Amino acid sequence: MLSDETLVHRLGGLVGGEHVVAGSEASRYAVDGRAPRAVAFPGSAEEVSAVMAFASAEWLKVVPRGSGTKMALGGIPARVDLVLALSRLGGIVDYEPADMTAAFRAGTRLQEAQEILGRNGQFIALDPPDADAATIGGILATNSSGPRRLRYGASRDLVIATRLVHADGKVTKAGAKVVKNVTGYDLNKLYIGSLGTLAIIVEATFRLYPVPAVEKTYLAPFASLDGLKRLVASILDSPLVPFAAELMNVEASRRVAAAAGLPWPEGSYGLALAVGSVRREAVDAQLETVRRMSREAGGADGHMLEGGPHDAFWRATRDFALGDGLQAVLKASVLLTKVAEAVRVGEEVAGQHGLRLGVISEAGSGIVRYYLTGDAASPERFQQAVVESVSRLRAFAQEAEGNLVILKASPEVKSRVDVWGPVGKALPLMQRSKAEFDPQGILNPGRFVGGI
Amino acid sequence: MEKERIAKVLAGIVGAEAVVVDAGELRVYETDGLTVFKAMPDIVVLPQSTEQVAGVVKVCHREKIPFVARGAGTGLSGGALAVEGGVLIGLNRMNRILEVDYENQRAVVEPGMVNVWLTNALAPRGYYYSPDPASQTACSIGGNVAENSGGPRTPKYGVTTNHVLGLEVVLPNGEVVRLGGRTLDPLGYDLTGVFVGSEGTFGIATKVFVRIMRKPEAVKTLMGVFNTIEDASNSVSGIVGRGIIPVAIEMMDNNAIQAVEKGVAAGYPLDAVAVLLVEVDGPKDEVEALVEPIKEVLKENQVREIRVAKDDNERLLLWKGRKAAFAAMGQISPEYYVQDSVIPRTKLPSIMRLIGDLSQKYGLRVANVFHAGDGNLHPLILYSSANEGELHKAEAMGAEIIKACVDMGGSLTGEHGIGLEKRDFMPLMFTGDDLAAMRKAKKAFDPDGLMNPGKIFPTAKAGVEVGAAGQRQILDKVLGPA
Ligand SMILES: Cc1cc2nc3c(=O)[nH]c(=O)nc-3n(C[C@H](O)[C@H](O)[C@H](O)COP(=O)(O)OP(=O)(O)OC[C@H]3O[C@@H](n4cnc5c(N)ncnc54)[C@H](O)[C@@H]3O)c2cc1C
Repeated sequence: MLSDETLVHRLGGLVGGEHVVAGSEASRYAVDGRAPRAVAFPGSAEEVSAVMAFASAEWLKVVPRGSGTKMALGGIPARVDLVLALSRLGGIVDYEPADMTAAFRAGTRLQEAQEILGRNGQFIALDPPDADAATIGGILATNSSGPRRLRYGASRDLVIATRLVHADGKVTKAGAKVVKNVTGYDLNKLYIGSLGTLAIIVEATFRLYPVPAVEKTYLAPFASLDGLKRLVASILDSPLVPFAAELMNVEASRRVAAAAGLPWPEGSYGLALAVGSVRREAVDAQLETVRRMSREAGGADGHMLEGGPHDAFWRATRDFALGDGLQAVLKASVLLTKVAEAVRVGEEVAGQHGLRLGVISEAGSGIVRYYLTGDAASPERFQQAVVESVSRLRAFAQEAEGNLVILKASPEVKSRVDVWGPVGKALPLMQRSKAEFDPQGILNPGRFVGGI
Repeated sequence: MEKERIAKVLAGIVGAEAVVVDAGELRVYETDGLTVFKAMPDIVVLPQSTEQVAGVVKVCHREKIPFVARGAGTGLSGGALAVEGGVLIGLNRMNRILEVDYENQRAVVEPGMVNVWLTNALAPRGYYYSPDPASQTACSIGGNVAENSGGPRTPKYGVTTNHVLGLEVVLPNGEVVRLGGRTLDPLGYDLTGVFVGSEGTFGIATKVFVRIMRKPEAVKTLMGVFNTIEDASNSVSGIVGRGIIPVAIEMMDNNAIQAVEKGVAAGYPLDAVAVLLVEVDGPKDEVEALVEPIKEVLKENQVREIRVAKDDNERLLLWKGRKAAFAAMGQISPEYYVQDSVIPRTKLPSIMRLIGDLSQKYGLRVANVFHAGDGNLHPLILYSSANEGELHKAEAMGAEIIKACVDMGGSLTGEHGIGLEKRDFMPLMFTGDDLAAMRKAKKAFDPDGLMNPGKIFPTAKAGVEVGAAGQRQILDKVLGPA
């Protein structure tokens, strides 16, 4: 095995000595408490390729990293020799506004990309958590999405081409820079959401959307979940086309409303319906219908949001966090008809374990996020409570034909419960895919489903 | 392969009446929608359940016999042809809608179900299934999954992959697995995503879980009539440039109009150089608000005449011509050869000019009927195989169009697939390493390479009849020797 000194020296030869970090500074890049021997910051796809060729020759275990906002996702890595940080690999590659496609290097922060595209009234229709800091590569690797997916879909629907560096350093592309293409296999799908276990995404091309001229949101308080459930069902069964529909529990609505500077009736659940269009009248007409339906379903008078408060509200929703204390974040995917119940079960479970719980769900997509927090003074108790909550909520999600994953939790929790849950009979197929793409098992070992 | 013995074993699984071995009957399966290619399977089986499919596949796997799935056989790239013989598994008897769940916006269907049946079944409740290839009254959803089929509605609603959330698949070793399902973000790799568009080389889809959608409150269809292709093309960019995403933007040129008018009399002006169909949908107020800006764009581009369909009948009439366009070609030419390469939208005027030039050069007429909104061309090259060498010329011309599209930053195919037809074009777009990555995915699904061999990947393998004119020769001429 290479000595640490040689390792750093060799890496320096590939990416420049000033772009390699080792020793105690490298431990700042620890993944689930496992510190890498070194961190390399390549400045180009060619350098990423050189580092991977080197890692492959030396059988180094590599953890790719964007800006680090999602490093808590995934199982505890089996071993971490090298963190491959893509933060220097940023910037736009090409952009043709009239074609509504744009390519960015993986280390580009989504926010940066949106600023560039915004000058032409266009955007990448993704609004994942931590959108200000998160990089495009990280968002794709974790298949991170947000409320807007109701209208625009997720990464799999928006990415048309990727450029990859493989475990052995080979560079390939998948897809094409046109909005419609079926030439060969759609490998983009395989790489998106693979958490860097198959290859490293170094560039991605998106189909873009026009920024709607007008966007508004109606936020309604509800005393009970039952009324909300009925309202969501009737909205989904109507010709209304909201781009987001978020159902929140009492704790989450209270906090999000406060963050957006809105008064909020005590003890109320919330439903936020967002509509965008090229025409104001079209937005207003839809939201008036929503307001009426909301009243009929028993909702109290709500807020019509636009401009500053609108943006503040959605930012607080996307980047929701429960303040200080110990944290865990879970994400469930369930049938649309089970969303309200998923919220209720979450509250029940949290209540039993004395946990504070915020729930924000994408009611039209069946995605439910649970934000758990507990007293920092008793970490043991919190961990145990999270482990038990995961089991209960996972069982519920599976009943609802979906799954539950841990987005964020301490290594202590992760060592006691599978962060992903069972994959079923498709696992061997996934293992074979992994073995084909990364036969040495050097990319992110142990962090993905089924121990991949 | 000892045909008789195998046929008997297969009859034990699917029943004797569901096994075809007679040469005359096998002929039905010799070709698909692209009739220039022919290849005969040794045996055809027509299973009725997942268990039967799995049983048949297990036999093939054990005996190392190549096998191919087939839906309705409307594919336009030779995908369903048994180029190495073996067993062809016809899925049209598995054609039921298994489940419709409106509240969860999902349906589960069998692979042989004809695309339009689902939308028809959903209509009374005001729902529909979005991907609508022009062949939708015939093609199967299994074929749609395999080809990742599109249709006119893709600019706003996407293609098959955006609407398929899960699959039940019989893997090439006969195992049955579920990929994805009724909920989003299934665990692990997005195997549903990579299966869609794998052209029947990864396994046989035996159940398809799809998203169904609420019908929009309002739909408006406009037709713009133009004196130049350029103006029509620029209108496409102009509309999108206004922040409008129409459901569909379709273009037809004069040859196409002639054929359509002879065929179904949709009312397109016979002297128009191009017509553009633009459709928008959504809530009533929004749709109303979109009509004016679209008209403005058309006027900015010297539109000669604008027709806005007043009611559903007028709307359907406008679409009738478009939907029937391929079939109507018979009115003006005995045969046609269709390409479906893609270019970035901004390159529309230049590629249309080039196609015009090539038409002159080869002395063959071309009718263009295509998805202008996403730059997906469909030049229908008109020829007659009765004329010596014309098919040869048509194929060569098609190859030149493909090459030009790739040179402009486009793609070989937007919805018809690579299949047999375009496999030797793959190196135009992908390097050896790119293709090696695709082969890895293939190997994960089909380590023995038994399923639908001879498709997608380039091969100079002899012994396969590739087109009456001998495609290799054409490729050498147009693209340079392999
Ligand atoms: C007039 C006409 C118009 C067309 N218009 C369009 C259009 O607008 N848009 C478009 O995208 N296409 C269009 N097509 C092409 C064609 O209809 C589509 O590709 C369609 O999806 C093929 O379906 P099929 O059932 O006929 O498949 P087939 O031709 O039978 O098979 C196609 C491929 O799918 C595989 N396959 C079939 N069933 C399964 C299964 N269950 N599991 C795995 N693999 C399977 C086969 O092996 C083969 O590789 C058109 C064709 C015609 C003739």
